[in-house]
Amino acid sequence: MKHKWKVAAASLLAVSMAMTGCSSRDDGSSDGDKNQGSDTTAGEASGAFINPDEDCDDYQGTQGVEGDTIKIGTIRPAPGTPNYGIYDNVTRGAEAYFNAANAAGGVEAGDGKKYKIELIKKDDAYDPAKTPAVARELVEQDGVFAIVGQVGTEPAKAIRDYMNEKCVPNIGLATGSSEWGKANEYPWYIAALPAYATEAHAWVNYLKTAAPNAKVALLYQNDDFGEAYKGSFEREIEGTDIKIVATESFNAIGNLSPEAQVVALSQKSADVFIVGIGGSACPKALSFIPDTWKPMTFISVTCGAKIAMLLSGGHDQGVYLAQATYDPADPADADQPSIVEFREQGKIGGLSDDDISNGLAAPGWGFASLFALGLKEAKTVDRASVMNALFSLKDAQFGMLREGITINTDGAKDPWVVEGFRISQREGEGWVEKAPVENWEGQSNKFADLKD
Amino acid sequence: MTANEGEETIVSDGNTNDTGVTPAPNKKLPAPTIALWVVVAVVAVGLPFQLAPFRVDQMSSWLTLAIAAMGLNLLTGYNGQISVGHGALYGLGAYTAGLLVAKANVPLLVAVLAAGAVCFVAGVVIGLPALRIKGLYLALVTLAVATLFPLAVEQFSSLTGGNQGLEIRTEQMYRGSMRPRPVKFASPFEGLANDQWKYLVFLAVTAVCFLLTRNLIKSRIGRAMVAIRDNETAAAVSGIPVARTKIYTFGVGSALAGIAGGLMALNLGTIYPSSFTISVSIYFLVAVVIGGSATIAGPIIGALIYGAFNDVLIPELPNQLQPASAVILGGLLIVQVLIAPGGVVGSFKLAGSKLALRKARAAVDNSAAV
Amino acid sequence: MRDFLQVLLVGIGDGAIYAMLGLGLVVIYRSTGVLNFAQGELAMFSTFLVWTIWDVGAPMWLAVLLGMVGGFIVGALVHEAFVRPVGDPHQKPLAVVIVTIGLFLGINGLAQVIWGATDKVLEPLFGSSQITIAGVAIQWQKIGAVASLAAVAFVFYILFQKTKLGLAMRAVASNSESAGLVGIPVLRLLMLGWGFAAAVGTLAGVLTAPSLGLSPRLMQLTLIFAFAAITLGGFDSLIGAIVGGLTVGILSSTLPRYVSAFEKMPLAPAFILILLVLLIRPQGLFGSKDVSRV
Repeated sequence: MKHKWKVAAASLLAVSMAMTGCSSRDDGSSDGDKNQGSDTTAGEASGAFINPDEDCDDYQGTQGVEGDTIKIGTIRPAPGTPNYGIYDNVTRGAEAYFNAANAAGGVEAGDGKKYKIELIKKDDAYDPAKTPAVARELVEQDGVFAIVGQVGTEPAKAIRDYMNEKCVPNIGLATGSSEWGKANEYPWYIAALPAYATEAHAWVNYLKTAAPNAKVALLYQNDDFGEAYKGSFEREIEGTDIKIVATESFNAIGNLSPEAQVVALSQKSADVFIVGIGGSACPKALSFIPDTWKPMTFISVTCGAKIAMLLSGGHDQGVYLAQATYDPADPADADQPSIVEFREQGKIGGLSDDDISNGLAAPGWGFASLFALGLKEAKTVDRASVMNALFSLKDAQFGMLREGITINTDGAKDPWVVEGFRISQREGEGWVEKAPVENWEGQSNKFADLKD
Repeated sequence: MTANEGEETIVSDGNTNDTGVTPAPNKKLPAPTIALWVVVAVVAVGLPFQLAPFRVDQMSSWLTLAIAAMGLNLLTGYNGQISVGHGALYGLGAYTAGLLVAKANVPLLVAVLAAGAVCFVAGVVIGLPALRIKGLYLALVTLAVATLFPLAVEQFSSLTGGNQGLEIRTEQMYRGSMRPRPVKFASPFEGLANDQWKYLVFLAVTAVCFLLTRNLIKSRIGRAMVAIRDNETAAAVSGIPVARTKIYTFGVGSALAGIAGGLMALNLGTIYPSSFTISVSIYFLVAVVIGGSATIAGPIIGALIYGAFNDVLIPELPNQLQPASAVILGGLLIVQVLIAPGGVVGSFKLAGSKLALRKARAAVDNSAAV
Repeated sequence: MRDFLQVLLVGIGDGAIYAMLGLGLVVIYRSTGVLNFAQGELAMFSTFLVWTIWDVGAPMWLAVLLGMVGGFIVGALVHEAFVRPVGDPHQKPLAVVIVTIGLFLGINGLAQVIWGATDKVLEPLFGSSQITIAGVAIQWQKIGAVASLAAVAFVFYILFQKTKLGLAMRAVASNSESAGLVGIPVLRLLMLGWGFAAAVGTLAGVLTAPSLGLSPRLMQLTLIFAFAAITLGGFDSLIGAIVGGLTVGILSSTLPRYVSAFEKMPLAPAFILILLVLLIRPQGLFGSKDVSRV
């Protein structure tokens, strides 16, 4: 018996050694902490925000660039995902942008060439436990240049150590968590949504004049997304006469619907209702507001799309929203040049009329165009170069941002692309302006209570 | 285990490793079985050197699934206590190991063992009411436990991180100073990447769990488990300590889930309540049933099949067909219960015994002809 | 107080839906001894049927009626094709549990393939308006849910206790072999049981859809609550399902508001109650005791 096992063990060892010896991995992508030196130099000036020679162990700045094609990836919940499945439309908007650009010869890069963009979509079901595997597949198997327009705060957080270690950009995050303000710690991340903290600032800024003695009922989703709204709102009202009189949390895994929470809040005689939840639970929350309660209701920027408003059972009328972009479903915005272009090009890119007006494809289009902007501003088609370009934007424009919104970034001092809003109120299919566009350039991290 | 008789036979079997012809119906391992095990071992050890790191990590996660399925198989397959809530114990193990590493800087494998111990105790506690609650009622109580688990994680978010996840970080040397970094199994060998090392560690743990489970099943306790499953009253009458055996099985089955969960947590680096929803429990059941419930190797085979199906096959399907994966999985389960209730292992055994039967008949016919 | 009443009403409305789904589970358990993990998915599927019919322009009541008929047929077919061939659930509980879990996954996937993508909006059967009594707002939808539960309970009572069909079904439930011997068409009756259950499930689904949004996961948590309801009430008791459903609904809407330990675990109070009940009466509050034979 013993002898037999020795034989078995010895042969096992021999064969395995042979296998490892003759063909170890050829792609050179071992777990990043072995210093293999960098074979590509980005040629970034040492003063630039990211210097891959210093920041990366195994820097592969041009992975995913082959000839005139750039391969990129995105991660989002696939259609049919509970609660968050509607966000697939965001990705379809981004896809349409690249389709349309490819049809016109490609996206123009800073080196003067035009590149076709190949977008690989992956599904993580908005579950941060699943995101890492998907991201690694994109980076290690598909060899993408960058991830663009990723959906979801927690999913994006779940992979940032990995993305950082691999030095792979994650551009145009479809989330506004305060976490994306930590550009010194996570320089490969740049968000395309304004910070939720800045949004809360815009609400309070408006409330200070519109309802200076407001009594607020606050509903929030108990994860980073909801906590960002809650925390920022609480900070913003310090020193004002606005008071939070009731708070309820909503757990998207555990609760069937936010009905009991909304109904409980409705009994607290509040005159302002903050809905800090996302996904289709947000419009559902509106639909539960009883007729006996008529608060000024503020919804998250992630909830203002037509497709979401349709789920509110008619309770969307009169809600307030901080808007940074034009809305393709709003008749008042129909003649804006960026909307007209989106309609034309979106169709070329494969969007239907319904897609175009659903309000989620449009932001996706915007996130994709932020990546295109980065490529165009970059000196070379190189990961660090694109990130450095995006972290030093001066009076840039992209997507369907409202006139008056200014786009400036400056590394970790000002890592936020969009920092302005107007306040508007839902009326019919569109929005009525209640307060004009105001920019808070370089202040988002202050609102988010981040040092740096 | 009585493993001393017939040593010579075995050795000679090992050397004459040429055909499938085995001498005499010896109860010891026949040559083809040994050959099979060698092949399995070589493939299992060699595979990580052929695959990309993310695939190796996926395989590591299949191993954790396999360990948990082994535990569930003890409980449900051998002992007949249907549990639809094994995912909760897996989760408890994951959070135990994760918290021990993140908050107390406990060595990784010690934390995994501790997770096993904590889950053993938890299993015993759940097993106590299970003495009174039986059959489908027990299935529902375990379902309740599984449903509550992710919510409880959220409820105690100050400790567990709630929906924002528990980041398992340790102080590591990074860019010249000690900083909190995601946990990793640092490879002690030059040329062996961390993911490969981690996989081999997981493989070793799986092998140990497998051998222990196998010995348990073949022991007196194992026979008692089966007797209780087949007829509890009769087992009690014939002097088997029913209560003690059932509770013990609950404990051991849960400990395996805990070890699996602990490994899983260290594999992922960050764990979330959403990693431990009811679907995890369902997938353990699927693994057990597909591989073959109440067979020793079944859960491992089932776990690997499920893992490969989920991580390798499904992502290859075009987007529109992704939801069809659930249809395929559901369909497979039903077809299997209807056509091959013994699972993969059971079917092979069945085919093997049919073959043996046919051979025996043929032999009888031949001798009759002579 | 008004606070409490308002939340209590939410609980009663939810509870009525759990009870309805629970009634379906009980009917199936009584007639076939199967604990149907796919009950919620069957309900979800036929709710999508209702939506499809409604979406092409049929009035809501007609769509619900046709959907219930469709659900009935699907339920009966599912039993005939997948569940019956497995064999006696008392002999092979694990096999039957696995098959219904397989159905759970399969039906859910099928709904995703057919109706896929985004949540569908289904018009509330009883409208979206509400009445206010003493400052407490009550949605007509809630009143409708309770009324529907009462109607279903009444129909089942008549069906099981007052008709020949019911007598035959009870005979099948208590001993299908001898029922077959005395000439009762056992198989057809078992199919009927599954059909009725699915039809009631449709109603539960239609009442749930407007507040949750119609998606393939419509009934997944609802099913857990319904399981809680029948575990509390007893697997084979119709009245138990109703009492259990309402209890579970009320506990899980009110307690988390007032007891902070349950704040994020709306299901916990119901489950703790169930565990206590089971430890004292393993067959549930209203269930009948299993006799174990050697």
